[in-house]
Amino acid sequence: MTVISRLVFWLLMLCVSLSITPASATEPEQDEAPWSLTELMHGLAQVKNSKATFVERKHLSMLTTPLSFSGTLEYTAPDRLVKHTLLPKSEKLTLNQDKLVVQSGDASGSRTLSLQEYPAIWAFVESIRSTLAGDIETLNRFYNVSLEGHQKQWLLKLRPVDSKIKNLVNEILIKGSFDQINTIEIREAGGDYSVMSISRDDS
Amino acid sequence: MKRINQRWPIAAWLIFLAFCVFLVSRIQIGADINAFLPSSPTPAQRLLTEQLRDGIVSRLILAGIDGGTPETLAKASKNLAHRLHNEPAFSMANNGEESSLDKDQAYIFDNRYLLSSAVTLGHFTPEVLHGSLERALQLLGSPAGVMIKNIIPRDPSGELLHLLEGFTGQSRPPMQEGVWMSRDGKRALLVLQTAAAGYNIDAQQQAIQLILKCFAESTQGPEFSGLHIQLTGPGVFSVESRNHVENVAFNFSIITAILVSILLLLVYRSWRVLAISLLPVISGALAGIAAVSMGYGVVFGVTLGFGITLIGEAVDYAIYFFTHLSPEKPPSKALENIWPTLRLGVLTTICGFSPMFLADFPGLAQLGLFSAVGLIVAVLVTRWVLPSLVPANFSPNTPVRLTALIMKLIKQAPRLRPLVLIAVIAAVLSIALHRDPVWSDSLSSLFPISEAKQQLDQTLRNDLGAPDVRYLIAISGNDREEVLERSEAVGSQLDILTYKQILVGYDSPVRYLPSQKTQQARQAALPDEEQLRAYLKQALAGLPFRSDLFEPFLKEVAAARSQPLLTPDSLHGTNLGLQTESLLAHYDKGWKAMLPLRGVTDASSIRKALARSDGSIVLLDLKQESDSLYQSYVREAITLSAFGALAITLLLFISLRSVRRVAAVLLPLAAAVIIATAIVLASGQKLLIFHLVGLLLAVAVGSNYSLFFDRESNAEMQESDSKRTMVSLLVANIATIFGFGMLSFSGVPVLTAIGETVAIGAFLSLLFSAVLMGRKISQ
Repeated sequence: MTVISRLVFWLLMLCVSLSITPASATEPEQDEAPWSLTELMHGLAQVKNSKATFVERKHLSMLTTPLSFSGTLEYTAPDRLVKHTLLPKSEKLTLNQDKLVVQSGDASGSRTLSLQEYPAIWAFVESIRSTLAGDIETLNRFYNVSLEGHQKQWLLKLRPVDSKIKNLVNEILIKGSFDQINTIEIREAGGDYSVMSISRDDS
Repeated sequence: MKRINQRWPIAAWLIFLAFCVFLVSRIQIGADINAFLPSSPTPAQRLLTEQLRDGIVSRLILAGIDGGTPETLAKASKNLAHRLHNEPAFSMANNGEESSLDKDQAYIFDNRYLLSSAVTLGHFTPEVLHGSLERALQLLGSPAGVMIKNIIPRDPSGELLHLLEGFTGQSRPPMQEGVWMSRDGKRALLVLQTAAAGYNIDAQQQAIQLILKCFAESTQGPEFSGLHIQLTGPGVFSVESRNHVENVAFNFSIITAILVSILLLLVYRSWRVLAISLLPVISGALAGIAAVSMGYGVVFGVTLGFGITLIGEAVDYAIYFFTHLSPEKPPSKALENIWPTLRLGVLTTICGFSPMFLADFPGLAQLGLFSAVGLIVAVLVTRWVLPSLVPANFSPNTPVRLTALIMKLIKQAPRLRPLVLIAVIAAVLSIALHRDPVWSDSLSSLFPISEAKQQLDQTLRNDLGAPDVRYLIAISGNDREEVLERSEAVGSQLDILTYKQILVGYDSPVRYLPSQKTQQARQAALPDEEQLRAYLKQALAGLPFRSDLFEPFLKEVAAARSQPLLTPDSLHGTNLGLQTESLLAHYDKGWKAMLPLRGVTDASSIRKALARSDGSIVLLDLKQESDSLYQSYVREAITLSAFGALAITLLLFISLRSVRRVAAVLLPLAAAVIIATAIVLASGQKLLIFHLVGLLLAVAVGSNYSLFFDRESNAEMQESDSKRTMVSLLVANIATIFGFGMLSFSGVPVLTAIGETVAIGAFLSLLFSAVLMGRKISQ
């Protein structure tokens, strides 16, 4: 390490980059998890591997018609999730630990995001991944979690804890039966919402 | 008459001392970093050194908080940052929190049509706009959609994303708990900037104390127990090295003074004599500092630390004086016999150090001046002031047995000649066959900063994820606009090279402050509201966007068409402003811009692409620049030492007028230098420039020994006189070894280097002088 490259380092320290919205994560809420939630999470945690197809419809107030997407989902316990959108355009999102790799179909290369730097995206992906993993601790970090219904037809409600994420999302509703997720509905602030229907490939 | 003669020197000495004290009380301690920057740099070096001396970079402090869970660290980081935001001593306190970036985001977004290089004629035509809108639609469906959906009505052409893409390859500090944190979550990181300049060490010290105080106040309570804060940065280094060197100088002067005092007390058994014998040392040190302060305006901490090394040498003069006192003659006559030899010894020393004044390396030049002035004053005080101060009939009683033993040993010493010869041959071989590079190869080895501190700096920088930058493009011009326009031209060439994957990315001041011409061109490329509305209507055909969605876009483009152009003032208060300021600087002869490059794979093709005949655009290889700077220091130090050695040899020829005697004086010194060098290398160290200074000082000290041996073996001497000389040499030698030997434990690399070489070199010089010339003593 030379004096001069040290100097240039200090120059570059000024060149610390911008991030779009790094928001702060907050303290986990110490809600008493109901016994049934514990049981649901335990059941979900038993699934080590699953494949599914999805159809997602996004209703945005700025658009006259909803956007729809379809593709496949693949989960490998405990923390790998691949969302491969096939229509209308190919795009592959690979979530591995705290990295999100985005690959567009049109050869423009791939991009890697660190979730730590994008708390809003992190909160989104954890709503799905941690639910699949039955990881109530991580869910609690981002959301107030409540459970309705019964084993055969349950509804998991996630409400963001962090005020910045609250400004973006009102709640996330996850419906399922036993250890399967059937739909994920994201209700954004301002009335926009999206519904993703998931059907597991049992073949 | 005689009384008056004796009093004049004392009066002159007292006035001189008062003058020195006056000068010393007003000295300005310089930042040590400057001691290592060239006084006549190349244009490339100038650019860097000017930034380092008083540029924005010199004001940065990097702080790391550790010792807790990530949550606690983040809380402490936020508390500290919020406190420092309110302190006028800091112009910036950034810990990665979103709030600290608000202004930057606002600047970029609000001025996007003047900043975006995509804004050209045709950018808003229906076809191009249609493509942009399709991309926006795709993004809306992605996980990022929820974050960008609010800006799409204002920015459907995607200028913000285009601007952010410019950051590709730029390292960002990892985030955790909403603040910058090391990847392992063990250290929260803050980047602070002081309002005061970096060379103002007092202000830097106050800033550091303020950080520590705020940290202590903001982390009270049990949840924060166990947290530590560590600081690094140019200002921190300057403050710490000054404090450290000052502490070392102070503590080691005291320890050395105590050891030497005990030695002198044992020999002379008189408190008064002890006090008097320290006068030449004190006078010499004061005069040395005063001379440097007058000559250079500032005194470097290193030079001050070096002051204590003078004790080892200057106390010798007093020892020679006292040992030669005897009841038979008045004190003023005591030195008469040995004066010619002593004078020659001092002249030898001065010859050795004088070439150092000429050094381009300011640290070395100051050491040379300091040593020469200090030693001259010390010897003058010994010669003309001390005789008036000693008790009238004082005579040191040297133990008879000890004296006899010394004489016996000296007479036996020549038996060791074969052994010394073998040792010298072995040493030469071990230096010649040394496998690792002999010279330390980096400039930072000269820093008076401990290894641990340098490592901390490295660790914190790694945590922030900031790689070392090696390549930098320097662009110069007559005024700011010229430099900015040239930076834009270079930027478009770099964009092509980036596309060819010859580099990953670059930073440029024009990213946040385009030239006025470019801004005007971009404004001119914006269509008027009616036209844009028409274009947009066509572009929206077949897309599901609501028709009235883009009213904000139409309004903001219209506003951008007539908005005032961006100037450096527009950036005021943003981090981007600091960055732009650091990449764009005004100098006496014009303006300069610096474009640091990232991920360069092929420097030569960049150099080729940028080649310009007028030298206004230069690609700098920083590693090479700093290595060559250091190499030039090493070469300079070697050349100057060679001149010093030559001057010493010439001086000895002129004084001794005998090849045999010159050889006899120089051989023990040469052998001592060779073996001392071999020992330093064998201990696994690399040589620093300061080892060379140490060797020079060892020659200076050792030449006294060998000259005295030469004198004793070439003149008819009374045995009692001979004995006195030998005892004084031994006492002087022990004092020197105490002084310099202690210094080798100082923990400051520079001082350790000097301490160990002089202690070893001086001891060996005395031993080898005895080995070579001992037989002839008092035969």
